Amino acid sequence: MLMMQNAMQLLQENLAIIAPLIVIQIILMIAALISLIRTEETNGPKWVWALVIVIFNTLGPIAYFIFGRRFDA
Amino acid sequence: MQWLTVFNKELLESWRNFKWIWVPLVFILLAITDPLTTYYLPQILEATGGLPEGATFEMPEPPPSEVFMMSVSQLNLIGVLIIVLITMGTISGERKSGVAELILVKPIAYHSYVTAKWAAYALLIWISTFTALLASWYYVNLLFGEVSAGSFLRTFFFYGLWMTLILSISIFMNTLSKTAGLVLFFTITLVIALNLLSSVFAHVVKWSPSLISSHLRNTLISGELSSALWGSAGTAVLFIILLLASAAYTLKHKEIS
Repeated sequence: MLMMQNAMQLLQENLAIIAPLIVIQIILMIAALISLIRTEETNGPKWVWALVIVIFNTLGPIAYFIFGRRFDA
Repeated sequence: MQWLTVFNKELLESWRNFKWIWVPLVFILLAITDPLTTYYLPQILEATGGLPEGATFEMPEPPPSEVFMMSVSQLNLIGVLIIVLITMGTISGERKSGVAELILVKPIAYHSYVTAKWAAYALLIWISTFTALLASWYYVNLLFGEVSAGSFLRTFFFYGLWMTLILSISIFMNTLSKTAGLVLFFTITLVIALNLLSSVFAHVVKWSPSLISSHLRNTLISGELSSALWGSAGTAVLFIILLLASAAYTLKHKEIS
């Protein structure tokens, strides 16, 4: 019981530290998805980009922002 | 003011491209990853196992300034790559698609076209670097110990100069080639060459701009600004001015077609 409490406490303490990290990743993902919905044309099929953004956290949105859209658009 | 027009157009474009959202966020992520993983290293090792039962493993606690520098070197690797990736098409792409022709047909001087674009990206990069280092500074103070506000501001200022130099190199390469991939390649090659040369000749040439981060490390430890750091910063400013001037020159004297 004491161990459980300790573990819970540890998790809660660490949550305050890790939470910003998770929030940033979620914002990145949402921004990428909004941008994906708004653009008319992407490099490659749209649904693939949607999967990439959702599945690979951090790297997926970055890859989309850099390579997803056409330069001449 | 034609300069402001180009500048505003560039800011608007970066905003519509979501660059103003994702670049600062990614920089923050890069900067806080190292302090966090360093802090949780004992727990991570414990969770992944690998240590025999009863083995005690004393983790040396790194000094706060060292952890803060970890963030800087992380930005130095991937942050630099991101800067080049977001700027590689800024002029070359517009020349390729003909937008540059449309703009330069109007009474806009080449140098204001180049510097306005440069300033818009510089603003983005300075703000991103600031938020990233601020986040890292916060975590280091929270988890490891104090790094003074003065050290933080100094690191931000001098490191921002180095990032601006990378941006200037990229802008210059943009005027040389119309292909974004080539701009990326030339810029990265030049930056790597600069890094290599200055680390090989570090004992001879102390004022190379790519030594800024190693000078910064010494400054963080000793707490005083060395003349070598000022020298490197001066060289960086000089390079930036030269690169922008030659960018405007090549753009003017190359046929835009």
